[in-house]
Amino acid sequence: MKVEYQPKVIGFLCNWCSYAGADMAGTSRISYAPNVRIIRVPCSGRVDPLLVLKCFQRGADGVLISGCHPGDCHYTEGNYHARRRFALLRNFLDYLGIAKERLRVEWVSASEGQRFAEIVASFTTELAELGPCVKERSLG
Amino acid sequence: MNRNMDRKIGVYICHCGSNIAGTVDVDAVTEFAQGLPSVVTARNYTYMCSDPGQDLIREDIKNLGINRVVVASCSPLMHERTFRQVCESAGLNRYQFQMANIREHCSWVSEDHGAATEKAKALVSAAISRVYYNEPLETREVPINPNTLVVGGGIAGIQAALEIADSRHKVYLVEREPSIGGHMIQLDKTFPTLDCSACILTPKMSLVGSHPYIELMSYSEVVEVSGYVGNFKVKVKKKPRYVDVDKCTGCGECEKVCPVEAPSEFEYKLANRRAIYRPFPQAVPNVFAIDKRGYPPCRAACPAGVNAQGYIALISQGKFKEALDVLRRTMPFAGVCGRVCTHPCERDCERGKVDQPIAIRSLKRFMADYELKAGREKATPVKRTKEEKVAVIGSGPAGIACAYDLVRQGYPVTVFEAAPKAGGLLRYGIPEYRLPNEIVDNEISYVQELGVEIKTNTLVKNLSEVFNQGYKAIFLATGAGVSQKMNIPGEDTLGVIHALDFLEQISSGAKASLGNKVAVIGGGNAAVDAARVAMRLGVKEVTIVYRRSRAEMPAIPSEIEEMEHEGVKIHFLAAPVKVLSKDNRVTGIQCIRMELGEPDASGRRRPMPIKGSEFDIDVDNVIIAIGQMVNKEMLPKELAFTGWGTLVVDPITLQTNIDGVFAGGDVVSGPADVIAAIATGKEVAVSIDRYLCSVDLKEGRPEARESVKDVPKEGVVTKERAVMPVLELGKRAGSFAEVELGFDETKAVAEAKRCLNCAVCSECQECEKVCEAKAIDHEMQDEVVEEDVGAIVVATGVKVLDHTQFSIYGGGVYPDVISSLQLERMMSAAGPTGGEVICPSNGVHPKDIVFVSCVGSRDERTGNGYCSKVCCMYMAKHAVMLKEHYPETHSYIVYTDARGPGGKIFEEFLTRAQEAGTTYLRGRIDKVSQCDGRLSVSGQDLLKNKTFNIPGDLVVLATGLMPSDGVSKLAQSLNISYDTKNYLLQAHVKLRPVETFTDGIFLAGCAIAPTDIPESVAQGGAAAEYVLKLFSHDVIDAEPMTSIVDISRCSGCLLCRQVCPFTAIEAETLKDGRVVASINESLCKGCGVCVAACRPGAIKLRGFSDQQLLAEVMAL
Repeated sequence: MKVEYQPKVIGFLCNWCSYAGADMAGTSRISYAPNVRIIRVPCSGRVDPLLVLKCFQRGADGVLISGCHPGDCHYTEGNYHARRRFALLRNFLDYLGIAKERLRVEWVSASEGQRFAEIVASFTTELAELGPCVKERSLG
Repeated sequence: MNRNMDRKIGVYICHCGSNIAGTVDVDAVTEFAQGLPSVVTARNYTYMCSDPGQDLIREDIKNLGINRVVVASCSPLMHERTFRQVCESAGLNRYQFQMANIREHCSWVSEDHGAATEKAKALVSAAISRVYYNEPLETREVPINPNTLVVGGGIAGIQAALEIADSRHKVYLVEREPSIGGHMIQLDKTFPTLDCSACILTPKMSLVGSHPYIELMSYSEVVEVSGYVGNFKVKVKKKPRYVDVDKCTGCGECEKVCPVEAPSEFEYKLANRRAIYRPFPQAVPNVFAIDKRGYPPCRAACPAGVNAQGYIALISQGKFKEALDVLRRTMPFAGVCGRVCTHPCERDCERGKVDQPIAIRSLKRFMADYELKAGREKATPVKRTKEEKVAVIGSGPAGIACAYDLVRQGYPVTVFEAAPKAGGLLRYGIPEYRLPNEIVDNEISYVQELGVEIKTNTLVKNLSEVFNQGYKAIFLATGAGVSQKMNIPGEDTLGVIHALDFLEQISSGAKASLGNKVAVIGGGNAAVDAARVAMRLGVKEVTIVYRRSRAEMPAIPSEIEEMEHEGVKIHFLAAPVKVLSKDNRVTGIQCIRMELGEPDASGRRRPMPIKGSEFDIDVDNVIIAIGQMVNKEMLPKELAFTGWGTLVVDPITLQTNIDGVFAGGDVVSGPADVIAAIATGKEVAVSIDRYLCSVDLKEGRPEARESVKDVPKEGVVTKERAVMPVLELGKRAGSFAEVELGFDETKAVAEAKRCLNCAVCSECQECEKVCEAKAIDHEMQDEVVEEDVGAIVVATGVKVLDHTQFSIYGGGVYPDVISSLQLERMMSAAGPTGGEVICPSNGVHPKDIVFVSCVGSRDERTGNGYCSKVCCMYMAKHAVMLKEHYPETHSYIVYTDARGPGGKIFEEFLTRAQEAGTTYLRGRIDKVSQCDGRLSVSGQDLLKNKTFNIPGDLVVLATGLMPSDGVSKLAQSLNISYDTKNYLLQAHVKLRPVETFTDGIFLAGCAIAPTDIPESVAQGGAAAEYVLKLFSHDVIDAEPMTSIVDISRCSGCLLCRQVCPFTAIEAETLKDGRVVASINESLCKGCGVCVAACRPGAIKLRGFSDQQLLAEVMAL
């Protein structure tokens, strides 16, 4: 593991809970690794698995999908769809030769800035240990 | 990628003072953006959101023909709306705009300037790529329903409701408690002006109650919310208050007769209220409610569902006649069951978990004794309202119970009894020392007086004959009257008697000649009865032989005990193998020792003989009491029988194989107890009524009788169960005088007062008798109503932590450690002490009072790190007021920080408290203990850096505030956010303090965070203002971010329909017959779940298309 290696992470955050949770990390000035790039989506259920594959293809080392806690979805059940989809996709990634640890699904509420920062920190540490995601990049 | 040359993108990077520019090199980002494709101009400015910043964008749109705008600044949740309006004001479609969040997601969370600048570039680049595809979108107009739902009737909710209603818009105010008023109505005075809380609140409350535009739904809860801004559908559950709100006049007569007391929630348990209650006299609505928690365990355990709590409650009030009436609503056998019932009710009695169960059976007997002693008035015959005659065959407890229920429903009922007198086993099977015949006679006469005809000496063997006599339904309750045989050698020897024959003989007055030594075989009640009768007949030695151990003995334990007192011996774990005889006359019985093996079907351990352990007992007579059987000979042959010789019936309806013929009691169950027989008699009465009315026999049966759980037992003082006085042993031999003598009035009342009133309301129905308005309905059910509203205000407030959970501070340990709200109630002239502050332990005015702040606030040990905000001020208020009322008192306030958080004359008030002589001690309490009868508060004085130890008469804990119970569930159904402590989240803490992220839902009061009264009022008003702003138009622009289907690509798989949470997707058949998905825009909320599910990629979510998201991914 090289110290200077910084994994690239793309985060899909739902508008109602997790995006606001990431905002909360900001307003609370909790610093975390600068390598996460956030894309706002209405709901974690909007995230198409193909979009996630595209991320890996375009050089992402990890993808974070974060929505409202189970039961708290702004759209009642969108996060349940996400949960099911990405449980499957993680297995599929393993099959493709991309470590399934590179895809994380988390629940972060609008008040959980601290939790968001902790998730980013632990995810980037884990990804740094895994090293760059070379396989898909070479096919890109 | 082909680029459209028409795209002219303007990029504006905000410094946000130093918030962004202090970390991110904005010039570098601007330069970077300038070089990206389609970017016409990139600028940066100190505050993009300010007027000059906005003008920059407007000018560029006008002068440079910019048609896509990117602003890189703060979170879109903060200013997206602002910049969209800027675009719109310059003639651009508001959705041709994109925001890059380089403050909350970048500068504020990064320490490394270089990395932050690189991240900002990436985010700006992603926004530029995305905005390229941001198409103009048109908003839709949807109508607004101008009604409002306000949840919570505290001061914040009241204020919001009144403001909106005064503007002539309908408000539904939903309050969970029986009255509105919230916590404010519990306060005596309000800080810092010492206004009387009730005096300023009650006028507002009564305005709510009478307002033509407010529909008050008290004792109700919101259970479901659907829809969207302007068009919500709300389901409200009206909990049954068992009092009709429209009829109740609030006269309070009901309260006076209610026998049940429960701790008053309103008075924080400092006083009791009745089961029918109004939390406080000024309640709005000013009507009563009944606190009914379900079936008390005694009633749930009784096979016949006898309402024991009901009659016990009335006995405790000395209302013995009324108590008996409660029992007679279920069955007529107070005297019988009061003596011989196996009382499963006592087994489940919650009082048994404190000390011993209530003597329910004896109390039941007491009611009957009391009536008999006073002389029972003849019962008034029930009016016959039905034509159909019913025949009951058998006059045991099952038959009579059934006849009793049917005659009271107006049916003509005839009971046929083969024996010379009615009563069945009650008369012939149970000896008189246990159940005197006059008791049986009295209770059967009562049933006869109601109109039941009993024909004794009438054997019925042919059912068709009964039908031919005009009876429309028959109940067979002929019992199980034949003794079982032991099937051992010598069983037919002279001197072997069957228990039932023996008991019947004695009951009928015949003589029985027994020898000096008698063995009784069996361990049931019949065996015990036979043994005790034998003793009374002068037998010198009576021995019971039972094959299992004492624990398995089915007879009533108290009967076994009395039997042993009377001198009967028991041979446990022994079974007879042979009757020994000489000249066909019993001389003894040979037994074998048993040991207990594995449990059998009955759950009792199966006895197994020990080989070679035979032994002899010398006896002159053997009485067999090993069980009874149905006498098949006496029953019509066409009936179906089980292998056990009992009748086959439907387990729910108890109908036999013959239509219109029902059976119950021992003839179905085999030998069982009296109360079980009564229960089946009652079930059959239900069946027969339904049968005769041609109603489905099975629907809704068996009735579920779930017992109440978690009966509070705190503060219950142990008190011995009343002991039944018994006849002296010396007086029993040779006499059939009753052994148990019954309770006297004092004993009965005292015993009844031990009842914990598990279900609170005992359903004694005394309230119904006195309610002139006929407002009480004990059968009231939940009602769910649905209302349409356009806006919702959530003002669910807080609860105050229970001080008894802080045992370290003596809460719940010492009675003189109380909560602030308890002190508040004591100070109130309308409170439990009439305004006197006293120590609960002795009723004396306290001299030294110690206030402890931050109990459960600012304390991570309890999980609440936050400040409850109001405590410092109300502690000062209490100290000031105590000094005014009782100049001799001294108050100590142990505080963390004495805060007067910015309110008007707050600091001055804290000074006033100090000037009043209050000792302020900065520190934390270690513990509260008791020594020499006084409380002692010890801790650390942080200013003087030494320990302190203050003696106190009263310790008042300023317990913290927590969101109300159930608020997270409500928030989930409203789709609004809440924090980890369950406080509701505002759309923006500073700029949108009463809005939520969900349009049309607003917040007020302590549901957001602890607030004082003026703030809650201000927030209530503010929420009302937002509602009225919404209602100032007839229509509202709905966000255009909805899904659309490209029907040319849709395969018609309709997977999207399955996943749509809002049933917005339907199948549509095109003219060519092809089926495609069709989205109802007004139902679609734009979650995009369907887009991800769409296989052919035919669905697009406007504003969040694949293209737009992909563009972001590609740029990152």
